[in-house]
Amino acid sequence: MERDHHYAIREYTMVRFLKLYEKIGIFILIILGSVFLAIASPNFFRADTIFSIITQGTYGGIVAFGMVLAITSGGFDLSVDAVVALTSVILAMTIPDLGIPLAIILSILFSCVVGFINGVLITKFGVNPLITTLSMATIVRGVAFLITRGRQIPISQSEFMFIGTGKLWGIPVPIIIMVVLFVIFYLLLYQTSLGRYISAVGSNESASAISGLNVTFIKIMVYVLVAFTASIVGVIRTSQALIGIPSMAPGFTLTVLTITILGGTSLSGGRGNLLGAVFAGIFISMIYYGLNLIGVQYFYQMLAVGLVLIFALFIDGLRGRYLEVARIRGIKA
Amino acid sequence: MVDERSRKIKHKAGELWGNFGLPFIFIIVLIVFSVQSPIFVSWRNLLSTMGFSSYIAIGAIGMTFIIMTGNFDISIGSMLALVAVLGSSFIPRIGGVLGVISTIILAALLGLINGLFVTKLRIPAFITTLGMLFIFRALAFIYTDNYPVYIDNRFWLFIGNGKIFNIPFPIFITAVCYIAAYLVLRRSPLGRYVVAVGTNSRAAELSGINVDNIKIFAFTFAGFFVGIAAVINTATMGAANPGLLGQNYEFQVITAVVLGGTLLGGGNGSLGGALIAAMIITFLGNGMGLLQVGSYWQLIVTGLVMIIAVSLNKLKFYLLGQGDL
Repeated sequence: MERDHHYAIREYTMVRFLKLYEKIGIFILIILGSVFLAIASPNFFRADTIFSIITQGTYGGIVAFGMVLAITSGGFDLSVDAVVALTSVILAMTIPDLGIPLAIILSILFSCVVGFINGVLITKFGVNPLITTLSMATIVRGVAFLITRGRQIPISQSEFMFIGTGKLWGIPVPIIIMVVLFVIFYLLLYQTSLGRYISAVGSNESASAISGLNVTFIKIMVYVLVAFTASIVGVIRTSQALIGIPSMAPGFTLTVLTITILGGTSLSGGRGNLLGAVFAGIFISMIYYGLNLIGVQYFYQMLAVGLVLIFALFIDGLRGRYLEVARIRGIKA
Repeated sequence: MVDERSRKIKHKAGELWGNFGLPFIFIIVLIVFSVQSPIFVSWRNLLSTMGFSSYIAIGAIGMTFIIMTGNFDISIGSMLALVAVLGSSFIPRIGGVLGVISTIILAALLGLINGLFVTKLRIPAFITTLGMLFIFRALAFIYTDNYPVYIDNRFWLFIGNGKIFNIPFPIFITAVCYIAAYLVLRRSPLGRYVVAVGTNSRAAELSGINVDNIKIFAFTFAGFFVGIAAVINTATMGAANPGLLGQNYEFQVITAVVLGGTLLGGGNGSLGGALIAAMIITFLGNGMGLLQVGSYWQLIVTGLVMIIAVSLNKLKFYLLGQGDL
């Protein structure tokens, strides 16, 4: 009896903690990070510092929107870093001939084709999403190296820099792009039937198929959208560097997955959190900024992101265990 | 009647593919490259490439166990780099023999950590090990400050470069590892538990098998073999480079296991298939190198081989009537 009682109390506390974490966890992390950075660096509370941190956070955040959809639908995409690189090199190669707007459209279209192939392989050929997108990452990276013969391609049109480094109404353009995409993806996920279908497929695929949803189409759409977000980031980063880089964004996929899961999207599928992804992106960017302040080498960033991922997974694992139990027993907290 | 006949024909085709498909592909690869390149077909090249294939083949043993139990480990490339730089840096203090042993034990420990994370925290394996992939690699960089560790210990170097009767020593190690793993998988209760967990983990649990422990065992076992592969690989290179070691290793090894006929998502597996598949992959790389195919094309080919391998596997199980397309 005594032990049961203890156990129930522990469970109850755990459920309350997790519910609270779901609501405000990421904000607490950001506040703690800010306090730390404010102490460490006198320049932290300046508009351009904060803007630059948020801008850095948009890269992962934007692709995390796509990844939220993929994970909500019960899948994954590990090919996003290669898609960023592919966009970058196609953009740099076509800008001289096509002009900036057409080159951007073309490079985004090519990336969406990669997403389409991912979707077809996963749905039509039944290949595991992990294996498909991991293989696609290798193939796409190979193609990016092949069409540039491994070289980096400089871009001479300096007006192209506006997308990555310019400001509109005093706000950096990448942040505006992220806000626009956030609104689009938010409406898509929560206000349209496609969004509901994506959640339905992620919660229970066979039930969705039986109730008449076109699971194949929905899944292909999801992978196209992931590739789309990745290509947007490819455009932004190419614009900042003014150079097409076939080896762009190594390890970016890990950052995106970390942001997605830290942002509260459940790995078990069916439940996505877009706003969480925005703030998780900013938090990761704060870590990078902090590590740069200390002046350590880039591999400490790898270590930090890896550790944050394990932490986020740990919380997600706890959530899966306790909130499920709470739901079954009808505990409210 | 027609249904019954077509089912039988399909089953026959599936069986044929299952038994002879891989050796057939292997022979085709050998013939194609022999026609294209005279160097390829020399004994010297064939034997040394066999030796190099031990790198993938030995890693594939443990991965077969992990995939059979329905998991993945994509951290093994970084794990290989981390234990290699650790173990080889111990050599001046504890000598070559103990250095090799400590490398293997460390790798098994890292595998154990992966297994504990996956089972006890109930985090999906591939994403845990994706995190570990970066953590291990970062630790390897941090430990060495991005400088390679040079190895001049004779015992360590012999493991990768030594020859007995002109046959590269890694071939003997591979043979011993495969025989041992075969005995564990097919002749011990532990192996039967692994198969049971892979085919139906719920049923295995109900019949009193501790599923978590079996999965942890698979990860630890895989780490053990990664340790052996780490010693062989660094010995052939003469140095342990924290950035270059084990790049794409997880990819090659998973391709070998899948091409070898182990079904993704768990189930029974094939060690022999993994061995032949590892040789196919290595000979493909060697042949493309000799024909001076660009490394970018090689990237594309490895990706395609992986996707084709998974599709072929699906086709085989469909033909055998054990799954749908």
